Amino acid sequence: MLHHNVKKAEAISFSEEVTCRHGGETLTACYQCGTCASSCPVARLDSRFNPREILKLALLGEKDEVLSGDAIWLCTSCFNCQERCPQNVEIAELIFALRNIAIEAGNSPNIYADFGGALIADGRIVAISKFVEKKREEFGLPPLKPVGVEDLNKILEATGFTKPEQKEASK
Amino acid sequence: MEQPKVGVFLSDCGKQLSEILDFDALTNFVKGVPNVALIARGSEFWRGKGLQTIVDAVKTGKINRVVVAESITKVSDVNIAQAVEDAGLNSYLVEVLDIKDHCAWPHRNAPKEATEKAKAMLLSAIERAKLLEPIEKLEFPALKSALVIGGGIGGMQTAVDLADLGFEVNLIEKQPFLGGLAARAGRFFPTDDCAICIQPPSSDVKTITHTSRKCVYRSGLSEIPNLNILTNASVVAVEGVPGNYKVTIEKKPRYVDADKCVACDKCVSVCPVEAPDEYNANLTNRKAIYINVPSVYPQIYTIDEDACKFKDCAKCVSACPTNAIDLDQKPEQVTYNVGSIIVATGFKEFDASAIKEYHYDNYPDVITNLELARMIDSFGPTGGAIVRPSDGKPAKKIVFVQCAGSRDRRYNPYCSGICCMISLKNASLIKEANPDAEVSICYIDIRTTGREHEYYYERARDMGIKFIKGRPTEIYADEEKGKLIVDVEDALLKRFLDLEADLVVLATAMVPPEGTAELAEILDIDLEADGFFKEYNAKLRPTETKQKGIFLCGGATFPKDAPTTSLHAHSAALKAAKFLNSGKIVKDLRTAIINDEYCGDCEFCPVMCPFGAITLEPTTENHFVARVNDLLCEGCGVCVGTCPLNAIELKNSTPNQMAAQIDALLSVNGTSKPLVLAICCQECGHTAVDSSGMAKMEYPANVRIIKVPCAGIVRVNQILEAFKAGAQGVMIVGCKTDGCHYEVGSEKAENKADSAKVLLKEYGIEPERLEMFKMVYIEGAQFAEAAQMMTERVAKLGTLKLMGDS
Repeated sequence: MLHHNVKKAEAISFSEEVTCRHGGETLTACYQCGTCASSCPVARLDSRFNPREILKLALLGEKDEVLSGDAIWLCTSCFNCQERCPQNVEIAELIFALRNIAIEAGNSPNIYADFGGALIADGRIVAISKFVEKKREEFGLPPLKPVGVEDLNKILEATGFTKPEQKEASK
Repeated sequence: MEQPKVGVFLSDCGKQLSEILDFDALTNFVKGVPNVALIARGSEFWRGKGLQTIVDAVKTGKINRVVVAESITKVSDVNIAQAVEDAGLNSYLVEVLDIKDHCAWPHRNAPKEATEKAKAMLLSAIERAKLLEPIEKLEFPALKSALVIGGGIGGMQTAVDLADLGFEVNLIEKQPFLGGLAARAGRFFPTDDCAICIQPPSSDVKTITHTSRKCVYRSGLSEIPNLNILTNASVVAVEGVPGNYKVTIEKKPRYVDADKCVACDKCVSVCPVEAPDEYNANLTNRKAIYINVPSVYPQIYTIDEDACKFKDCAKCVSACPTNAIDLDQKPEQVTYNVGSIIVATGFKEFDASAIKEYHYDNYPDVITNLELARMIDSFGPTGGAIVRPSDGKPAKKIVFVQCAGSRDRRYNPYCSGICCMISLKNASLIKEANPDAEVSICYIDIRTTGREHEYYYERARDMGIKFIKGRPTEIYADEEKGKLIVDVEDALLKRFLDLEADLVVLATAMVPPEGTAELAEILDIDLEADGFFKEYNAKLRPTETKQKGIFLCGGATFPKDAPTTSLHAHSAALKAAKFLNSGKIVKDLRTAIINDEYCGDCEFCPVMCPFGAITLEPTTENHFVARVNDLLCEGCGVCVGTCPLNAIELKNSTPNQMAAQIDALLSVNGTSKPLVLAICCQECGHTAVDSSGMAKMEYPANVRIIKVPCAGIVRVNQILEAFKAGAQGVMIVGCKTDGCHYEVGSEKAENKADSAKVLLKEYGIEPERLEMFKMVYIEGAQFAEAAQMMTERVAKLGTLKLMGDS
């Protein structure tokens, strides 16, 4: 069996930046067979997202193209692609890793900033709306109460969740 | 034993070495060494006049040990050893050192230091020579006979080759008929002819001897007098040693007497029992008494014992005009004594039902390439028509899916190598017979890497076969349309295609057949991680195994096409013939010796021996001792390094001999730098030193080289003793882990270096004074770099202080 014995280049390429991330490790195993693309329910409906294409762009180091567009935010995390990938590329995890890089670069869609803000403020991603209250009443469910955010924020603080949010806010 | 009288022969290599080294100083130094009986200086000693000087000195009895300082060691070794042997002295009483590549050239810019190192090298060689022992040759008988396991095209051709060469050959096949997987494939690439022909035996005098090939049924295979063919047979046990194996074979009953059957078909016409025809991929039924296809070999009917009603029916018995049917046949065991065994067990198709999303197990119209081949074959269940197995209607739209289970880390990570060609061939055959058929191939990469192979790809495109770059995610059934849908993305168009298909053909991976692991166990040979048999060396010895008498042929090592299988078959036959040809195996007894007094009850060496040469045997004192099989032992010394009780020694690499060499190498410094000892294995490690010298790469002369058979022989205490003997640093230089000539030696050496580091720390010695390096011949630069690095590292650490030093 052959083993890798390749010296790393001085400059870190984008694909390396991805592979040293949690969730990004398996990128280089991709050989573009397209099983992920044909497994993907989103790709069928929206040509902006194609998991095979995103992996190819990442492998070729097209950092800006990967991070700036809408594509990586369209994944529904259904994991079909990951289940069927013959190279065990963790495609859904890779999309998470790419999203993390994008957020660090200040590239998250506004709605994610809204989600983050809501989580910090109310402890919920989706605010309690009149519509939701009404629906719950109809179904005979008790009304939602505000949740305490103090403990949650300790966790968010410790995990660094609040930082990209601040970055977003300062922009 | 006779007092050693050492002759030292100093070559200046056409005066070039004396320009660097002070030869007078060397001569004077050697003169002062006890037991040196002769010193001679010359231009070269490995051939011509110089070699005659050595021969004369040996013949006159003036010397009984030979030390030669030469320049091109690797050739000199062989020449000098042979000449000395011819002159009447055992060739193992010769020590050759390379003062050019290991001293003069790498240290040419520090001639004084180089001269001192040369002194140390000469002293080391002389001290070793004094302790060398003669090694005798042993002869083992070898039977001029072979067993070939597997009657596919590989096994048949190996068997014919060996039979042609005059060996007694037993060819056994598990199935009732010869032919293996190949027979079912119909046609072959790249010749486009039928699968089941082989090279005709040269004993076939009835035909032109140079005819290229013959169908198996008319090849005269059964008429070769020294070829014994057994079908329905498999190996159950193997005993013995290379050159002399006793093989037990179990033969399942055929229930038809081969000597009486005339293949008239009468039994088949009366047989009332039908059973699925596995030869034809269960696409049809056959009778309980049957032959696979009319051209099958041997032309003798056989009874499927799972289906036959035997005495409750017995219609065939009364129908048979020659009384050939014998329902009382029982399984029998036969034994053969053979000199070598050739494994030709081939491969099989991967069970594609593992890939759930392709529904091979529940959609009848999803088939494999082999099943398709049965349809294409005019002898096959459909008479050559391509149909949907679900309803028997013609298949008009056919989609091939490549890499079904290959290049897939969930099943088989490797590329099976032949499936692209098989699909291209089958797709073209379909298109040829039915130009209206719509044929598509979904691929990841098309691999057509042999002569004429790319032509198949060209022809397929020319015929209008569509190629879709993409691996389908799923095959599903469209009940309304009554079709299968192949869900695939054409990656080049970035377009999602739902391909309609009557028939989906999976180009399945090729995997080892059932019983491979069991056979490996019986034969005591290794498997690779992929489950196929492991060759002894993939690059140079592709048909050999770690067992000298056992050879590999064809798909047994990896999926192969027919041309490669033929090459393999002829190679395996040649290797087996070479091994057995003289009727004896001659071997130098440079083997491991067990000291019974120390040995006891542990299992380290039998487990570690790369050649299975050591067994444990009970002794009278009710405990076990290790026994070395001299025929199997290759003299690597891995067992020596493994033994926790120091109960094993390797002839001419004993601890005493090594200690004497090390003492000598470290007794002369002559440099201001700290002495570093490099223990190099004789294979890649030592040749890396050679190549650094040959390329005139420089490293300091304080680095002293000792050669050992394998890095695995080194013991932890020897490493510690090297420091005691004056080494300030120790390098162990072995082969790459995967490239170790003795499989585990380099890895074991590394483990020992790690253990020694722990102990060094305990003794207050910096562990970084010891380092293991792994390199190959071409990495001479790496050796020079490592030697330089270790010198600098040790110098920085300062002089080594041992316990008890003031």
